[in-house]
Amino acid sequence: MPDEIILRIAHMMIDELKLEDVTAETFDPDIDLIDEVGIDSMDLATIALIIRDEYGIRIDEDDYPKLTTIRLLAGYIEEKLKTAQENN
Amino acid sequence: MKTVSSLLNDDWNERYRRISRLNIRSSIYDVTDHCNLRCKGCFFFSSNEHKAAKEETDIKKWKAFIEREIERGVNLAILIGGEPTLCMDRVEAFYRRLPTFCATNGLIKVPRERLPHMMVGISIWGDEKTEKTLRGKDTFALSSKNYEGDPHAYYLYTITPKQIGKTEPVIKKIRDVGLKVHMQLLSNDEKVDGFSWRPEELKDIRMEMDDMLDKYQDTVISSRYYHEIITTGKMLGRSFGWAECPSVTEPLDNREPRPRRLINFIRWASDLKIMHRCCTSETRDCTTCKDGAAHMSWVMVNKRMHMNSARDLQNWIEVCEMFAKLYQFIPW
Repeated sequence: MPDEIILRIAHMMIDELKLEDVTAETFDPDIDLIDEVGIDSMDLATIALIIRDEYGIRIDEDDYPKLTTIRLLAGYIEEKLKTAQENN
Repeated sequence: MKTVSSLLNDDWNERYRRISRLNIRSSIYDVTDHCNLRCKGCFFFSSNEHKAAKEETDIKKWKAFIEREIERGVNLAILIGGEPTLCMDRVEAFYRRLPTFCATNGLIKVPRERLPHMMVGISIWGDEKTEKTLRGKDTFALSSKNYEGDPHAYYLYTITPKQIGKTEPVIKKIRDVGLKVHMQLLSNDEKVDGFSWRPEELKDIRMEMDDMLDKYQDTVISSRYYHEIITTGKMLGRSFGWAECPSVTEPLDNREPRPRRLINFIRWASDLKIMHRCCTSETRDCTTCKDGAAHMSWVMVNKRMHMNSARDLQNWIEVCEMFAKLYQFIPW
């Protein structure tokens, strides 16, 4: 499940942010999105909207600073999905 | 994929990291509809924005409004007017709760015992003659007395076409009173004869601004890239204008396609209810807008566009640093 999410987020980033010279498969899930890829909070807000639509999960803007890699984002989604399942 | 560390050496990388994590969320507030000057070309009066709303006078309502703005995520209040210092209680209410910048003509001194660290941007439109022509008086004579040596104040020099070849004495006199200066260009909203920019004048002033930055590095807060952007209206092949401007009030922004923009940005009228379209006047032609902050923001919101080469990314960093200095997020 986390690997699937990682791959899906990588696809989202490449498609939505028009990242070049990288594929979902070659996108390092541990690369720092802000310090290295140059993503900013507007980019993150865009990705957060797609995640909301696909997974039904809302990412608080206050959480953006800690979601610095694709792996961390995937872990955040997984955690929220688990919590949602437990509550149902 | 190009990465930051593949483009920058260690020094630039450090500067990048410092600046890219600031996450500034600004909004602009008309503090009052009144002013103690009536400058020709002031967008606020030329577009009748002073009549757009009946200003709120109840300080409790201002304080409640500021709390709502904090809740909305604003972390930088930019106070404009009219002349904000005519309503010091409102200015102080912002300052007590938020990082605050106050634009002023400098004729009234901000009481530093009440607002010790608030950044003040003092407007100046040129030499004595131009100031008298456009503003009715030489404001520098008084504003420089009020703010001499103030570490939390700088001059915002709005350069007009009449100032070509004459900026150096203005910058020198600002330096001599121990203050910094940032330059922007007049958008001739009232079509005062001879004060609209022609292409060759923009080329000349760009060179002059570069020259002033090189010569007065301790006084001028600017960057060459900013000079290029504001004088050409072009950024990496794109043109500034309505379709690109980042400083449009978010709830009124129905542009498609949606450009990269300032998140949560609103410019509020002084009734605390009406929102203005953008950071400047609605009547201004966006293709000739020379607003300095809008052009800086245009660069800042387009970071990844500047990740094609080391020089482009360094340009982006320099503009961000300039903005952060002007609003006191990093030291001079």
